[in-house]
Amino acid sequence: MSSRRSRSRQSGASSEITDAQITDLVSKLQQLIPELRARRSDKVSASKVLQETCNYIKNLHREVDDLSDRLSELLANTDSNSAQAAIIRSLLM
Amino acid sequence: MASFDSSDSETLREQSNHKKRRKIGHHTAADHNSAAAAVPWRSDAEQRIYSRRLVEALRRTPLSPARPRAAGQVRETADRVLAVAARGRTRWSRAILARRRKLWTHHEKAKKAPRNGLKRTTERTNRLPAVQKKTRVLSRLVPGCQKISFPNLLEEAMDYISALEMQVRAMSAIAELLSAAEPRRPESPAAR
Repeated sequence: MSSRRSRSRQSGASSEITDAQITDLVSKLQQLIPELRARRSDKVSASKVLQETCNYIKNLHREVDDLSDRLSELLANTDSNSAQAAIIRSLLM
Repeated sequence: MASFDSSDSETLREQSNHKKRRKIGHHTAADHNSAAAAVPWRSDAEQRIYSRRLVEALRRTPLSPARPRAAGQVRETADRVLAVAARGRTRWSRAILARRRKLWTHHEKAKKAPRNGLKRTTERTNRLPAVQKKTRVLSRLVPGCQKISFPNLLEEAMDYISALEMQVRAMSAIAELLSAAEPRRPESPAAR
């Protein structure tokens, strides 16, 4: 709703996001990044967390692209063989 | 296509309200996977469902004979099925679904750095240029998140990462199945 949207633009006292909440979010994000998971939150800066998050997402995108390429090749072969299709379906169920 | 209301800005304000199903995650929850509203990207069931839907969608898609184009088609399909799995709860997923419906989105035209949303945080650290720059980069990596607040961006990023990880696991498993199923001999008995 537009009312909620406009409230977020004001530096309203009631809608203020606290430092603690930000820190909490950053440390939760840190736990998701394999590179940083083992390190203590107070030893990793927000900047580092953001940096590694970006790197990690880029890596994941790259993996998905590679897998898409691999799947496109495999599927080109599979289409011509319905026995394979049956195998896939049964194994996925 | 209906425009999706950006209700994300309220997420933190409603920290004390546990049952807002539209928001992703709850900060009071131990982690996103245990929150009532969050999609359990880590669960086997979720991955199985995704894999099945992806294979069905791919079988329905006539793939281009040109390999790069076909790879792009697979990627788009995989992303779309992933976005559907998010059940409309996240901005990134809605943005992905909106991609197909309009070839030229508003974002395409406005390729400038995000303004108010990302700078409007209270913490000193988040005003540092280094953090702001990385925040901007992050906002471009997560679909549809270039103009949202910093906390919402982090929430979206967390959900997006979990979803991407599942996507990788699922697609890897499918690729393994397909390569195992490739006939090395003329006859390959169907496994039941």
